[in-house]
Parts: sequence; C-alpha cells; structure tokens
Amino acid sequence: MNQSKLLKINPHESENPLDLSLKESFSLCQSQLRPPFPLKIPSPTEYSHLNLALIYGTLTEPNLAKTHITHLHAIVVDGYKLFTTTLINLTNQNYHKLPETPRAQLIWVTSQLVQVSAVKVDSLLISLLRQISGGDFSEPNLWLCVKLLEIFDQNWDRLLDEQPLVLKSAVFVFLRLLSDHYRLVGIGNLDDLKRLEADFCVKALRQRFALCMKIGRDLVRLLQDLVFIPEFREIWKDLLFDPSKFQVPGFTDISQLYCVRTSSQYFLLRISPEMETHLRFLLTHVKWGNQKRYQAWFAKKHLSLPGSETVIIDIVRFICCAHHPSNEIIHSDVISRWAVIGWLLTCCRKNYFLANVKLALFYDWLFFDEKVDNIMNIEPAMLLMVNSLPQYVDITHTLLEFLFLLVDNYDVHRKEMIARGASTSFGILVRKGVIRSLEPLISCSLLSPLLRERLSTFVSTSNLGVVMKGSSDFCSRQLERTRVAECHVEVSK
Amino acid sequence: MAPLKDIVPAATNTVNTRFIVLEKSNTIRDGKASTCLSLVADETAAVHFQMWGGECDAFIPGDIVQLTNGIFSYHKNNLVLRAGRKGRAEKIGEFTMVFVESPNMSEIRWSRDPKNPKKFVKEEGVVPDRSRIFTPSP
Repeated sequence: MNQSKLLKINPHESENPLDLSLKESFSLCQSQLRPPFPLKIPSPTEYSHLNLALIYGTLTEPNLAKTHITHLHAIVVDGYKLFTTTLINLTNQNYHKLPETPRAQLIWVTSQLVQVSAVKVDSLLISLLRQISGGDFSEPNLWLCVKLLEIFDQNWDRLLDEQPLVLKSAVFVFLRLLSDHYRLVGIGNLDDLKRLEADFCVKALRQRFALCMKIGRDLVRLLQDLVFIPEFREIWKDLLFDPSKFQVPGFTDISQLYCVRTSSQYFLLRISPEMETHLRFLLTHVKWGNQKRYQAWFAKKHLSLPGSETVIIDIVRFICCAHHPSNEIIHSDVISRWAVIGWLLTCCRKNYFLANVKLALFYDWLFFDEKVDNIMNIEPAMLLMVNSLPQYVDITHTLLEFLFLLVDNYDVHRKEMIARGASTSFGILVRKGVIRSLEPLISCSLLSPLLRERLSTFVSTSNLGVVMKGSSDFCSRQLERTRVAECHVEVSK
Repeated sequence: MAPLKDIVPAATNTVNTRFIVLEKSNTIRDGKASTCLSLVADETAAVHFQMWGGECDAFIPGDIVQLTNGIFSYHKNNLVLRAGRKGRAEKIGEFTMVFVESPNMSEIRWSRDPKNPKKFVKEEGVVPDRSRIFTPSP
C-alpha cells in the first residue's frame, strides 16, 4: 500500500484501520470525484464509500476541497451523519498523527459542516476542543485554539440557536486555557490568542450568562483564576456584588451557582481522549503493586512538557467527577482513585498548581448537598486523607489543613454555607460507610493537635453524630501495621 | 496469537504474539546494525526481546507490539525473542495492556527433549522468577 497522505505512520507502526478504509474508498471512487458527477443515486454501500472518499479527498487535496464539499452537499441524504461521525473518529483517535495540511483541512471542513448544521457537528467541535492540550504552548496547539475560536466567533448566532451545549463547552475550555495563557509571557502570538479567548468568554458571560450558569459551580472555580485580568475582575465584582447586571431572572447571589453541581461531561473537555483511555485503563485494570510502570509511562506521555503540570488539576477533577468505578472494581485489587490522586499530588512541583489541585480535589466538598451531589465526587479526598496515615501523615496534614483554609477563606461572606457543605461531606462519608469513623484522623497523634481539635470541634458543632469510639491512639496502632499500608509507598514514590 | 508463557525455544520463525514493552537497555552497535535488549511481557509471562535496527528507536516502554513470525532462540548465549530476518514487529498501541513480570521465559533453563533432540523442554528445578538483567529499581 502506498504511503498515506492522511496520517503520519512511523516505521514499525501498524497500518491504521481508519486510514486504510478511507484510502481504499478514495481509490475505489476516484473516477467519480471529478465533475461532471454521475446523476445516478448511489446504493447504500456506494454512498458510504463516496462519503469516505470525499473525506480523504477533502483532507488531503486542499486545492480540490471545495469541489469535494460541493459534491458532498449534492449527494448527502443522512444529514452528513456518516461524514461527521467519521471525522469525529479520526479526530479522537488520530488527531496528533495528522500532518499540517489535513489538520488545516479538518478545521476548514468543520466550519463548513457547522454552516450546514450537520448532524453531530456539536460532537465534532467537542472532539476538536479536547485536542487542545493543556500546558502545551507549542505553535500547532496554539494554532488549534485560534482556529476553533474563529469557528465559534463566526458562527456565534447559529451555535447559540442550535448547539448551546457546545457553546457552553467552549466557554469552559477557553476560560480554563486563559488562566494558563495569561501566566505565560514572551511567547510570540500569545497576545492575539489571549485577546480572542478573553473576548469570546467575556461576550458569552456578559451576553449569555444564563447559558454559562448551566456549567455550574466549576464556572466559579475557573473564573476565580482570572481575576487579575481587568475584564474578568469586573465580571467577578458583579458576580459578588451586583448579580442583577447579568440580567438573569432569579439570579441574585453567587451561591446559586455554588449549588449547581457541574456535569461530568465538562471534565472530559480538558482531558484528551487518549489520556482518558489511559486513566480509565489504569483505574479499571491495573492492580495494586503494578501501577509504577503505568504511572511512569503516563507521566512521560502526558506530563512531561514544562507546562503540563497544569493538566493535573483537570485530571483530578476528571477522576473525582467523571470516573466513578463500579462496586465490583472498588472491591477488587485494582488501584484506587485516591491512590492515583496521591501520586498525582507528588507530581506537582509548583505551589500554585498544588493549591489548585487540592482545590480541585475538595471543590465539591465545599458545596455538598445530598440532593444534588454525588458521594463519589468527594470520596477520593477522604480516602486519601485516611489511607495516608500513618506513613504519609504529611499528605493527610496538608489536605486537612487546606480544607479548613477553604472553609475559612474561600468565600468569607458565605462561610456558613461552605462550612455546612464540608461538614455534610464528612457526615455522609461516615454514614454511607466510606470510612467507619473520623477517629483515625481525630485521634492520630502524628497530626498537629490544633488540626485535630479543629476537626473535632468542626464535626461536633455540625452535629454529625459521628461515632468517635475510645481515645486510644489509632496512629500508634497503625504504625505497627505499617507493612499493610505499604502499598501506598508504591503509589507515592 | 500465542501467550508468552507458551513459547518454547526453537530455530524456526513461528512465534506470533503481542506484548507490552516494559524496559529497554542501551542500544549497542553490533557490527553494522544496532541492537537493544528489552524486557517485554503479556498477561501470562515476560521475556527478553531483542530489538534490531530501526526497532531500537521505534519502540519505547509502554508500547504494545505485535510480533509476526518471530523467533525465540539462543542468540550469543542469551535466550531472546526477536523478529529475525523473516519476522516483523509492529507497534499496535500503547499503555492499555496488563502484564506480569514472572515467569521470565528467557530465564527458564531449557534442555533438549531426550525423545526428540530437536525440541526443547523446561528443565526441572527452581525457575528464576524474574529477569536477572532487568532488575526492579529500588
């Protein structure tokens, strides 16, 4: 088979099935791809071949792309579904293998599909958004940001009308990217990109706040990272002191946003499909004691760029909120979410990221409400604190201290609400048996007495009815059983 | 597709299997070509796989490789799996494969089958569990 123009296939790499089928259809239909187009109605098989051939043609023959698209418009009978879903598969599986020309063509054809409101074009846009890698400030990655922003900008009204979900997703993505892009200085084109990103987000927030609100509480988490940008400082001020400015009927206080749990689909947006596959594999198939190599491979693949530390924030949010293992997995010897998060914490070198990772871990604790929240979102933080004792008492200490820091300072005007959220979290975690009691924390002599006292007062004033049996020192007893806990050594090192 | 636990030394290019690369040693220039010894494994066993030429750069730890018509034989006194001249090794994926590190098929002692001297059989006795070349880092 001749060399593919669509994908970069390395020597000693197997042929790609999707690439093969596109190439095959292209050579099969090549004679039909130039005008005059046959008037005959194609059979279903011919129709699929023609669609695949047009994809290959559009992506690899930029000078003929317009002809191919006109051809597609003429033959289409399925609302572009096959064409679009094939592009989605190609994007999810192979975007990083596409050379420059097919990449540029993919963006171009996507904007064409947006204009005809193709079936599934929302998913295609989301697939492309997921290909923007966090913490990667290379030219091709920043190019993708610009190109997608252009599509969103040029099709604002249409998307608002037809695909509001994808617009919310774009707001989520670009708010998240902005915080990384604003921290960087001295990269050529970045100023233009930052301008585009900020304009897009500000437009959405100022004109369509009701839509943005549907993102839920993580919208606040993202916005708070942008307060040092003047336009966002204004938005932040209005959110806190003058919510009526957003002209959303009934929206009178930021706490209304706190109460909305962010849907798990948003957390996938900042994780590439490949990273998602690797994380889910790790958390579904890899047994305790075997994780070291996988963690090293994961770090090399996904966390090795100078800026990639920032992705850990998104990964922790993904693990807490979007990857909920079944009971079968929880009770098996597969590595637990808390352990993977413990390892990820050790991958953070800069305090700024570490603080944000801890915030990501505890975020749902602060507003926890049994009616809307899921205990699985808060479970990893609790298990990480308890299971790090006694050997990794530092982790327990840092986390518990951080939680109280959040309770006291996250939003001083709504401190009561946040304290209620955190204490509800402790309560439900004990009540549902995630941990048997808070005794391991409260009676652990290795933790600072102040912190233990704080925890003890915190849970007793909030009337949790948490059982605190005896006062024998849990930690000293645990120390003797250190060997049992050695699995954690493996995780953190 | 044979699981690694079932491979037996033989002078034929008949091993069809897939595995994940766990570790690589340094690439050595061996005459004209370069070679690189690696530790690979599947869910049944591990083995030493010798990369040759372009393979040395093409495969890195975490890669899932499919070996077609490979050979498992003694090469300069080491029992290694390799593609050889007639076989082919191709990367087919990454990361998503479980593995075990013992037994290591390259560390098993094999001897000629008394009934059929062309065949190898496992020697009775203690089998070294893991690779003695690739030892776990402390």
